[in-house]
Amino acid sequence: MRGFMVFCRKELTESYRSYRLVILLVVMALMGIMSPFTAMILPDILSGSDLGGGLILELPEPTSFDSWTQFFSNVSQMGMLAMILVFAGLMASELSKGTLIPVLTKGIPRGTVILAKFTVATILWSLGYAVSWIICWGYTIYYWGAQDFTHPWITFCAPWLVGELFLALMILGGTLVSNWGGSLGVVAVVVITGNLVNLLPEVRPYNPITLAAGTLGLLDGSHSVEDFTPAIAICVGAIVLCLILSIVVFKRKQL
Amino acid sequence: MNEVLSIQNLHKSFGAAKVLQGISLGVPAGSVYGFLGENGAGKTTTMKIILGLLQGDRGQIHVCGEKVRFGHTTTNRFLGYLPDVPQFYPYMRGREYLKFSGEAAGLSHSQIHQRSGELLELVGLGTVKKKIGAYSRGMKQRLGMAQALIHQPAVLICDEPTSALDPTGRQEILDILRAIRATTTVIFSTHILGDVERICDRAAVLHQGRIVLEGSLGDLKARQGSQGLRLEFASREDLTRFCERVLDEFIELISQTSVIVRTTDIRQEHQVIGMLADATIVPLSLEAISPTIESLFLEAVR
Amino acid sequence: MLDSWEAARTYLPILIPAAIIQLGLMVASLIHLATHPRVKLMPRWVWLIIIIVINTIGPILYFIVGRTDEEDQ
Repeated sequence: MRGFMVFCRKELTESYRSYRLVILLVVMALMGIMSPFTAMILPDILSGSDLGGGLILELPEPTSFDSWTQFFSNVSQMGMLAMILVFAGLMASELSKGTLIPVLTKGIPRGTVILAKFTVATILWSLGYAVSWIICWGYTIYYWGAQDFTHPWITFCAPWLVGELFLALMILGGTLVSNWGGSLGVVAVVVITGNLVNLLPEVRPYNPITLAAGTLGLLDGSHSVEDFTPAIAICVGAIVLCLILSIVVFKRKQL
Repeated sequence: MNEVLSIQNLHKSFGAAKVLQGISLGVPAGSVYGFLGENGAGKTTTMKIILGLLQGDRGQIHVCGEKVRFGHTTTNRFLGYLPDVPQFYPYMRGREYLKFSGEAAGLSHSQIHQRSGELLELVGLGTVKKKIGAYSRGMKQRLGMAQALIHQPAVLICDEPTSALDPTGRQEILDILRAIRATTTVIFSTHILGDVERICDRAAVLHQGRIVLEGSLGDLKARQGSQGLRLEFASREDLTRFCERVLDEFIELISQTSVIVRTTDIRQEHQVIGMLADATIVPLSLEAISPTIESLFLEAVR
Repeated sequence: MLDSWEAARTYLPILIPAAIIQLGLMVASLIHLATHPRVKLMPRWVWLIIIIVINTIGPILYFIVGRTDEEDQ
């Protein structure tokens, strides 16, 4: 436990001094700001345009639902991309540079390193995600008034959970291959497979990747919580599995 | 003799390459142990197995009586390790890194404060304020020494601590090793023979995955015997008469009245003296040529 | 004219914080660039252009891949 705290503190210092924390917070804050803005200006931009043949597109007034649609789309694309870039080197760069060697020979167990890295990355990602959400929520209330959510936690934590899956995957990839390419490769493979598999409708409810943008169905009431529980369960299971695998692989890794 | 490190029959291969083929050695407490070998002889591999960073295929290692297990770190509390090219977090400062190392090793804050002050002084980084990212190679090496010693390990293992440094930097590292030898057993690998001769009291020579020579420096030299005898004669006549009795291949003429007789063991030297007596020649001088570590090394890896 | 003033009033609460963040990011990376003589991947003047020209993403790229920890002494 002592080693865990020591390594977590080092990770936090690193996040702060290598600008990981501030980059993530800035990008996520911008996502939170841009989402309601895009929702509002999108009809203005599109309705002015002539689609040809004198057909003018008439869009309805934007609603809070449009704001949240933009939020999910921004967070699951730009937000995740920024998060992946910021954390891709988490395990990989330490292994490729050899900075863990003095740490391990000081007596910090290998499993502790993995868990501490995941813990601190989780804190950072959660912080970034919360900032983004709170900003978007604030603006949405300001422009469209307060609203009630039937299942706020599941609705809004689903993309966050997918982010956690990516973190675990990047730790596994970095541990396996010891470079950035490994981390990014594993995530890319999972995202591509996840999207391909989505072509089969019967797999969709079990596919964690759909969670990144798919919980909108809870907001407009077209889906129930049960529709998402299998994917959430599988996502949580996959995160745990990735971490266990990372620890097993790292313990056997020749350094 | 109390051994802080013992290795029995250690084997290790990477794929088809057999890097270590049955290494056994013991390092007595309080020694400065030189681990010699050409590049690629298996020195780094051996050290990394001792630290549990690599897994040996066969064989056993004990550190201070405890068995080393791959992937576990319990025996590392006895060990300090300085890698050949130590890498630290570039965003930290030297003192911060020592604090982190000390915490990782489980020291109390007052211990860390005291030790890091002493060690930074010892390695000459006491007044350096900049971040490690801006350190020179030699400064990183010296910080590496300090972090390896922070928890007062019984054994310090240094992998080629002097190889990459300029002569001044090398001298500084050797001075540090000399300064700590009273409290810490030092094992260091090198391919620079001069370093071994300067500070080691024991050495092992690793060649093609095997220990080809091992022992205290004095013993090694004595076991080898002298490498030959240098004889100086009063006249050219004496020299010629002497040379008639010795096979040409052993003789190396130096001048008109002096000669070196190459010998491989002490019996041959006795024979030479016998020949002098038989021929009733008294040389002006007779001197045994003692082996240098370099000649021992070359002999061993031949 | 009135229409765009109305629009500006509506969007101002969003545009001002967004502009502050983007400007802050640019200034922070310019300060970092000015105080750190060594950079990675590209020459310093290229980074300077990237930071100024490419809004938001330029400074972020600089902080992720271009920056080094070697301070000006």
